[in-house]
Amino acid sequence: MDLVHLLLPHLLNGVALGLLFALIALGFMLIIGVMEVINLAHGSLFALGAYFALSLMTPDGGLRLGIAQVLFDLPVGWRYVIVLLVAPVGVAIVGMGLEMCLRRTYGKDPLYGLLLTFGAALVLEELIRLAWGPTERFIPIPSAITGGIAIGDLIYSKYRFFASGFAILMIGLLWLFLEKTPYGALIKAGAHDSEMVRALGVNLTRLRLFVFGFGTALAAIAGIIMAPIWGIRPHVGVDAVVPAFVIIVLGGVGSFWGAVIAGLLVGMVVGLTGAFATDWSLISMYILLILVVTFRARGLLGKKSILEN
Amino acid sequence: MKIRITRRALLAGTAATAGVTAFAGPWKHNRVWAQKTDKPILIGLTHDASGQFANSGQDEQRGTIMAIEEINAKGGVLGRKLSYIVADTETTPSTATRIAERMINRNEVAFIVGAIQSGVANAIGQVAQKHGVVYFNTNSSSPTEAGKDCQRVKFVWDGTGANFANAAAANAVKTFGKKWLLLTNDYVWGHNTSKATRTTAVQYGADIVDEILVPVGTRDFSPILLKVQQARPDVVAAAVGGDDFKVMRQQTVDMKLDRKPAWLNNQQDWPDVYGLGIDSVFGVFGTTWYHKLDLPGVDDLVKKYQARWPDTRIDVPGNVFYNGYMAMHELAKAIERAGSTNNLKVIRALEGHKMSAKDRMQHGDAYIDPVSHHVQQTIYMAMGNDKPVDKTDYFKILSWASAEEAKDKNEATDCKLQPLDKTPSYEM
Repeated sequence: MDLVHLLLPHLLNGVALGLLFALIALGFMLIIGVMEVINLAHGSLFALGAYFALSLMTPDGGLRLGIAQVLFDLPVGWRYVIVLLVAPVGVAIVGMGLEMCLRRTYGKDPLYGLLLTFGAALVLEELIRLAWGPTERFIPIPSAITGGIAIGDLIYSKYRFFASGFAILMIGLLWLFLEKTPYGALIKAGAHDSEMVRALGVNLTRLRLFVFGFGTALAAIAGIIMAPIWGIRPHVGVDAVVPAFVIIVLGGVGSFWGAVIAGLLVGMVVGLTGAFATDWSLISMYILLILVVTFRARGLLGKKSILEN
Repeated sequence: MKIRITRRALLAGTAATAGVTAFAGPWKHNRVWAQKTDKPILIGLTHDASGQFANSGQDEQRGTIMAIEEINAKGGVLGRKLSYIVADTETTPSTATRIAERMINRNEVAFIVGAIQSGVANAIGQVAQKHGVVYFNTNSSSPTEAGKDCQRVKFVWDGTGANFANAAAANAVKTFGKKWLLLTNDYVWGHNTSKATRTTAVQYGADIVDEILVPVGTRDFSPILLKVQQARPDVVAAAVGGDDFKVMRQQTVDMKLDRKPAWLNNQQDWPDVYGLGIDSVFGVFGTTWYHKLDLPGVDDLVKKYQARWPDTRIDVPGNVFYNGYMAMHELAKAIERAGSTNNLKVIRALEGHKMSAKDRMQHGDAYIDPVSHHVQQTIYMAMGNDKPVDKTDYFKILSWASAEEAKDKNEATDCKLQPLDKTPSYEM
């Protein structure tokens, strides 16, 4: 087999994987960028999104939600679309509740916020365990996006194509929202100088509440999309929060495109090591992080610190 | 030269000799604790209730607790009831070590039962040997457990990776082909199971084209599945366990790679698959027991399980429950045979003990190998059921191998049990 045929499938798979990593990191990036809060509950909210989706997709989903019975009569495809819209809203409400608890930590040592979100992560994970049980679960997905697709003499997952396409769509929509809408401008201004934004009459409390809710909704969307690939279990959030953190630091804290590029880089590195040095695949992203941060402490597209002048 | 011994030196010397003798002499290894015949016999249950093997740990716990309740309902053992304490090992060897030490030193348990992960079982086994406490490794199936990591106090109840490889390899080479690829979970069970598979498969003429190491915690198998396709093996022999296995299975089934190549999944634990649907079972795999075996006693056990655990998501008992349940019953019988809770007598009562196929609800007789302390037993080969009779009928049993056919011959050379007189004794 020549080098191109040997490498090409793994390069393409790395890109697909990178898009999924970027999707996981988007909500994390938004919250840390605007609010300077390292939300360690991101993973648990990611898991909560998947569990909400599970309850809405199947009557065997663990929680008996009476209203969901209407949904169960619909075809799987329709259910899946509705779940993608409804479940993130539910998680956003939980996220907003968490933001209200966080308010007392604003302006204080960042460690307080870190500890609070860490505690929230543990509480959420245990609540998930109580509500849905500890066993492995899987979300049914529409038959149109299940199974394999033949590319040459290789078979690739249809669902991964769908998930990668969905990640591109979400990245595009978020970029448009941040760059082309007045609310996006407010969010960016809030990230740049929150006191000035408040001085101009913007309700900063409401802005932060919205951003946190939006960030957690993005975590939930990532959880729903990743559920058919990773499966669902109470501690699945740990699988999400660690790469999200790595990607944010690698890309530069608060940088939108930094997060996307870092996600792709991590995907490529994990994908290629997964193929050619599998036992290194899990630590490869950390080695990449160490290398980048050693030579460029602010990450790939992070803002230059005053200390570097 | 005249040596003068003062009275003070004589007293100091005597005290020092007595001290050294007390702490370093043979008594250190043979403590006899006070008998407490009026009290229940306390058993420490060390199940992996959280972490990578949480589902299996909880199923195993259902088995041990149900057996204890049944034993107590019949009057207990030697006229004493069994009581138990449970601690979660978190599927982590360091936690398991801490728990075992605490159970022995603080709670003063008489016996310890339980483990899924081989690192956990090995850790508990080492602590148990140090104190002489009889330990039942109920479900950890690394070949090293009855090989180089065997202990005089430890008894291994599950079939090991080597047993499953022995039972499957010859047929798989004949049926599917000689080009094999190994997928190995990168920890002790994975490595030892793949090693056993490699040895057996090569012996039957297989050519191992590659071995891919799968780090514990892998959540994306796409690069590995692409590599498998590029290698075009006839058989993929996977020694991947716990959450990693569930994720791998999901992604393999999703890509429709579960039919070709042939997948030989060393062992399929029931809690890892139950609830996912019959379609999610893939490949050929081994198991020690199945709830649809057409044997006396099996239906009764299923009914008893369902009456005792009506709310569990696992509607019928599987191999993991079975190993915990049977081990606990055999522990009670061994104490009865020994006529005492003295650990050395119990060990003697267990070594070489034969168990009939009828009692085991398996097709062949079983015995506790006195050389390795491994329960040599019937191993079943199975695959996903294409004609299920009900929603719990996931497996189609293809064949079974007797205890002798499936036996790991390396245990005899790898396992070096400590002498019984070097094992601390106790009686609770």
